Amino acid sequence: MNRFNLVKLANSLLPVAFALLIGAGIMVGMGHNPLEAYGIMFGRSLFTVRGLTNTLHMASPLILAGLAIAVTFRANLFNMGVEGQLLFGGFMAGIVGAYIQMSSPLLHKLLAFLAAAAAGMLFALLPALLRAFLRVDEMVVTLTLNYVMMTILEYLASGPFRNQGAGYVSTNTIRETAMFSRIGNTRLTPFFIISVIIFLLMWFLQKKTRFGYTVEAIGKNPQFSEATGLRVRRNIVKLMLISGALAGIAGAGHMMSHEFNYTLSFSGNPGIGWDGMLISLLGGHSPLGVLIAAVFYSSLKTGADNINLYTGIPKEIVAIIQGLIILFLSIQLIEQRFGPVKRWRAKRQMKEAERGSVE
Amino acid sequence: MESMLSTKDLTKQFGDFTANDKINFSVREGEIKAIVGENGAGKTTLMNMLYGDLEPTSGAVFLRGKHVRFNSPRDAIANGIGMVHQHFMLVPSFSVYENILLGAEIVNERIPFLVNSKEEKQRCRELIEKYGYDLDVNEKVANLSVGEQQKIEILKMLYRDVDILILDEPTSVLTPQEVDEFLIQLKKLKAKGKTIIIITHKLREVMDVSDSVMVMKQGQVIGNVETDETSEAELAQMMVGRKVLLTVQNDHKSVDGRTVMLNVNGLTTNDAAGKTVVNNVSFHIETGEIYGIAGVEGNGQSELVKLLSGMMESTSGSVVFEGQDITNWWVNDLRSKGIGIVPEDRFAEGLCKEMTLCANSIAGSTASKDFSPRGVFSTKRIRDHCQTLIDEYRIRIADFDGNVSQLSGGNAQKLIIAREMFKSPKLLIACQPTRGVDIGAIEFIHRQIIDFRDKGGAVLLVSSELSEVLSLADRVGVMYKGGIIGEVDPQQTTETEVGLLMAGAAPRTEATA
Ligand SMILES: Nc1ncnc2c1ncn2[C@@H]1O[C@H](COP(=O)(O)OP(=O)(O)OP(=O)(O)O)[C@@H](O)[C@H]1O
Ligand SMILES: [Mg+2]
Repeated sequence: MNRFNLVKLANSLLPVAFALLIGAGIMVGMGHNPLEAYGIMFGRSLFTVRGLTNTLHMASPLILAGLAIAVTFRANLFNMGVEGQLLFGGFMAGIVGAYIQMSSPLLHKLLAFLAAAAAGMLFALLPALLRAFLRVDEMVVTLTLNYVMMTILEYLASGPFRNQGAGYVSTNTIRETAMFSRIGNTRLTPFFIISVIIFLLMWFLQKKTRFGYTVEAIGKNPQFSEATGLRVRRNIVKLMLISGALAGIAGAGHMMSHEFNYTLSFSGNPGIGWDGMLISLLGGHSPLGVLIAAVFYSSLKTGADNINLYTGIPKEIVAIIQGLIILFLSIQLIEQRFGPVKRWRAKRQMKEAERGSVE
Repeated sequence: MESMLSTKDLTKQFGDFTANDKINFSVREGEIKAIVGENGAGKTTLMNMLYGDLEPTSGAVFLRGKHVRFNSPRDAIANGIGMVHQHFMLVPSFSVYENILLGAEIVNERIPFLVNSKEEKQRCRELIEKYGYDLDVNEKVANLSVGEQQKIEILKMLYRDVDILILDEPTSVLTPQEVDEFLIQLKKLKAKGKTIIIITHKLREVMDVSDSVMVMKQGQVIGNVETDETSEAELAQMMVGRKVLLTVQNDHKSVDGRTVMLNVNGLTTNDAAGKTVVNNVSFHIETGEIYGIAGVEGNGQSELVKLLSGMMESTSGSVVFEGQDITNWWVNDLRSKGIGIVPEDRFAEGLCKEMTLCANSIAGSTASKDFSPRGVFSTKRIRDHCQTLIDEYRIRIADFDGNVSQLSGGNAQKLIIAREMFKSPKLLIACQPTRGVDIGAIEFIHRQIIDFRDKGGAVLLVSSELSEVLSLADRVGVMYKGGIIGEVDPQQTTETEVGLLMAGAAPRTEATA
């Protein structure tokens, strides 16, 4: 039991440790003091009130995107379309926010969230049905659909919904009733609280309800699930829809708390959806892990600005570290899904045994 | 006498739990050694240590008198020790020859990256012929019966030229005919000079094939005897510690006011390849009745069970349960109507190895109010429930909070039966209910099934163990090529007569046995 948890923890920490170590090596190579750099980076983004609130603000959509992916991962499903669903959700929230006039700020936001969730679900439905009923690999479908979605939104934002007054491709800015206001003089908004509430909800569902049981069982043994009466197909569709909804909500929240209009760089680079994947992997696909990983990852992002401000180190070092984490985690992911190392090892063992017995 | 493989004070602990306690084991060159003992006695654990699959906590292993240490099965195989596990480890999507040669591929002489499959097939054919098996090297393993899969596991080891062959419950998955054939094979292997260690729960086989027997109980060796100096009854008593009834006590009690519980009419279905595997099957089961299905494995029994338990769809025919048409219903609906299911493949369909004992103990009833009184799982209730099952069926566990993967084969089976019985279903579909279960527990499970029947429950019992079907069931349908070829009253029928039906002979009236 304990040993198992330790392995899981190491699985998350090692990629980060390696990435930070190599990052440090590079800084030393460039003649900088890595300890100082990391000190500033994490010190300012986590241990000052301003930095921490910034970090948490940026973490809000990341938490949801991470949860969106984690919930499918646990069931051994791979919704790689979170980015597309998130963009669609953000865009729809932007449209609702800008074109619909409502007197109640609460209802306006609620409507925007609903539209975004619906958009995310709609966009997850096709791969879900394909996977559940025709066994088409959802990984490929969702991945491809991201690009379809990006192209469609680019067209919509630069054509029918373009803000003619702006000098770049952008939709109209949402109305004030659809904007989240800041808490105190921090950058935090109620959206962060919404994210945390959704996190708690997912954690609870996972731990304490039939839903969590079903997800785990499907992920670990679909045949067993089917045989004991868990409707696997139906639940696959359900899960993908939940994932899509979470992604949509993440996009809407990001729109209403940070961006306020849809531009071609709405979700940044790499997009929040892609970050979510990383966060889910880092967090071992457990809700609590996702929460922690989202905050860590967000601190890395905000830390990049500080590194630029307070040291002579180019902020690209953070991009390198991010890239390295992604690299190490992908290795892990590939191993998880396809197990090439495991297979290769098993084969080699047999082979050597064979050789041994021939001698 | 020369000992081929032996251990000195070999011990294995899982956490605080001692699965093997100072075992002194020894097998002579060229003999067949049987190991018997209750479920969870530690038989598999001991063998896994000899095979390098588990690292001993303490103690030593000696091969031909020399102290050896195996770090992996690869070491063991290199030293001439091969093992076939209780649960097979084949790649279903690979063909027979690919599985035999997995990891030992023969490569093309000129292009070393390419597998020389022609040569591989040839060598496999030779191997199959040498040992007198009947297998098509090109067939996909997924299409093979369990018995055939086992042959591949054994061939895999023979190909690697081992001297000592460890077989963990090889016969529990075989049909009686296959068992007989298998035992003959074992004797042939012995004649070819192989040393064989076999774990089994069937004392008849022990008496038939072995030279000596080791009896284990709760992680310890409690006896070593020569086979010709002992008897089934004595072995049974040693294992269980009390006298065991080797025959079933069944008074075929007739329950009053019997009504039809299940009515199957003309049920037919095809497999993925379009072949008719269940063909126009009709029968009914009344309350307070055990209906047995006998037949040589692979004649549609598995598919019939799948149809009735919602895992497969029928192409025609109907299933009526308590007057309601339930044809092609989903599993969850069948279960909530009061049908308990003990599936054939325990780790694929009965349990999830990577989930906890508690999680497995509520499988199939996750929607029940008993476990989530307020819509949310009650951890306490679930734990209590799991503990009840463990106590009632005396399931031997090491760690209550651990996963099902810790359970020995027989104990895993007990968990499924305990779970399904606990729900007090109206109809119990039991497929191979005592496969891999020790004799004490078989007696217990049979008792449970008969009590269930006596209280008015209906049972569909499918078993390749003919004696089990004949001694438990009130009526027996014999399946042959997907259809029920005849129905007999087991109290008035001999095994030979049923055997004829199983082989496809004309129905009973014409059989003059
Ligand atoms: N990996 C493990 N972790 C914890 N406990 C284990 C593990 N493997 C086996 N055990 C425990 O050790 C005991 C012996 O198990 P083993 O599989 O050797 O029994 P067995 O004699 O082969 O039983 P069966 O006849 O049912 O196959 C069991 O009580 C089992 O629960
Ligand atoms: Mg065993």
